[in-house]
Amino acid sequence: MTAVECTDLHFRYPNGEEALRGVTMRIEEGESVGLIGPNGAGKSTILLHMNGILPERLSPTVSISIFGIPVDAPNLFRVRRLVGLLFPDPDDQLFCATVYEDVAFGPSQFGLPEAEVKALVEDSMKKVGLQGYEHRSPHHLSTGEKQRACLAGLVACQPKILALDEPTHGLDPRGKRQFKSLLQSIEATKIIATHDLELVVELCARSILLDEGVIVADGPTASLLSDEDLMNAHGLEKPHILKHLHPH
Amino acid sequence: MHSRFIGVPVGETTVIHRLPALAKVTVSCVVILTSILLPIGWGVAFVGIAALLSLVVFVSRTSLWFLFRNIVIVEPFVIMVGLSTLFQPDGGMRFASIALKSTLSLVTILLLSSTTPFEELLEVLRMMRIPAAMISIIALMFRYIFVFIGESGRMRTARQSRSFTQRTARSWVVLASVLGQLFLRSTVRAERIYTAMCARGWRSQ
Repeated sequence: MTAVECTDLHFRYPNGEEALRGVTMRIEEGESVGLIGPNGAGKSTILLHMNGILPERLSPTVSISIFGIPVDAPNLFRVRRLVGLLFPDPDDQLFCATVYEDVAFGPSQFGLPEAEVKALVEDSMKKVGLQGYEHRSPHHLSTGEKQRACLAGLVACQPKILALDEPTHGLDPRGKRQFKSLLQSIEATKIIATHDLELVVELCARSILLDEGVIVADGPTASLLSDEDLMNAHGLEKPHILKHLHPH
Repeated sequence: MHSRFIGVPVGETTVIHRLPALAKVTVSCVVILTSILLPIGWGVAFVGIAALLSLVVFVSRTSLWFLFRNIVIVEPFVIMVGLSTLFQPDGGMRFASIALKSTLSLVTILLLSSTTPFEELLEVLRMMRIPAAMISIIALMFRYIFVFIGESGRMRTARQSRSFTQRTARSWVVLASVLGQLFLRSTVRAERIYTAMCARGWRSQ
C-alpha cells in the first residue's frame, strides 16, 4: 500500500519564500527513505505537510495523502495519529514536567483509556531503553536521552509512518549509534530528512534528493550518493562510508 | 545540573523532602495565614512560628545561604511597600510587623518549594481544582525556564568572548539588543512547541 503520496505539492511561506515548487513522490509502506539536500531545500517543509501542520490553512484541494487519506481538515487527527513527527530540537518536543507525562501526551490526546495509555507508555519506554526515567524531568536528561524520550513519545502513538527531521543532530557518536539501531528496531515506514549521509546509507535503501523545492533525483541510496558530481552540485558530498564500499 | 526541587542541588533528600506534598502545602498555607492574620502584639506566637520554621530548616538541611540569598532578592520590594507606613502614626511598629510577617511567609514558601518536587506541587494544584489552563502555564513555565536560562547563558558567553571593552555606554545598547533577541527566540520557540503539541494530536479548545 502507498504510505505517502504527494502530487505537485507547492508551498510558499508567508514571508514570500517559495519552499516547494511542485513535489511529486510516492513512498510505499515499509520503505525507509532518506530525504537529502542542502539547507533550505524544503526537506522539513515536506515533513510538516505530512501531518497537516503546514499549510496553516488547509485548502480543500489536497496534494498529499497518507495511506490514501487526503490530508485535509476533516481527516487531520486521523492523519496525525498515523504520522509521528520528530523535531530537530528535543527541547521543543518534550514540553511536560516529567518524561512519563510527555510520553503519555499523544495517547491521551487521542482519547485512549488511562490503563491503555499506561501500558503504551511502559512499552515505549522499554523500547527506547529509558525504563526508570518515568519521573525524571526532561531538563535532567542528556541530549541522547532527550532524543530517545522524544522517540518514545512518538512510538506511544503507534504511528505507521515516522517522519524524522535531523534525528541524529547534536548526538555524540555513541548516541548516534544507539539511536540508529533503535530506529532500525522500530517497524514503520520511515522518512528521514537529514544531512547525516552515513545515517542515510545505513538506514535507507532509497533516497530522494531535493534542492530549491524540487526533487532533483530519486533512487537507490548507494548509487545516488555515489554520484560525486550530483552530490557536489547540490551542496552535499559523497559520504566517506561509500568510498570504501565495493559492491560485487 | 538542576534538580527536581527549585534551586537545590540533586541528592539532598531528608524526611521533610519525602513527606506527602499535600501535607506540606496545607501546613504552609496555615503557617502563612496565621502569621499574616495574627496581631503583632502576640510575640510568643511569632516566636513559635519562627521556631517551627527553624526546625524544618534544620531537619531538611536547607542551606542558610540559599534562604538568605532568596530573601535578599525579595526584601527590597517589601521595604518599598513598608516605607509608606513609616509616615503614619505608630509607623515603626507597622513597618516591623510587615517586615516580620513577610519574611516568615517567604521562608515558608522557600522551604515548601525547595523540599517538594515540582510535579508533586502540580499534582496538589490539580487536586485543589485549579483551572487546567493555569496549571499548564505554570508547568510550561517551569519546564522552559531552564531552557531560557541556558539560552541566555550561551548568548552571554558568546558576547563576552567577543567583547574587548567592558562597561561603556555601548554595552547598554548591546544589552538592549540581547534582550530583544531573547524575546524573539522565546516567541519562535513557543511556536515550535505549539507545532510539536499539534503533531501529537493536541486540539486547541
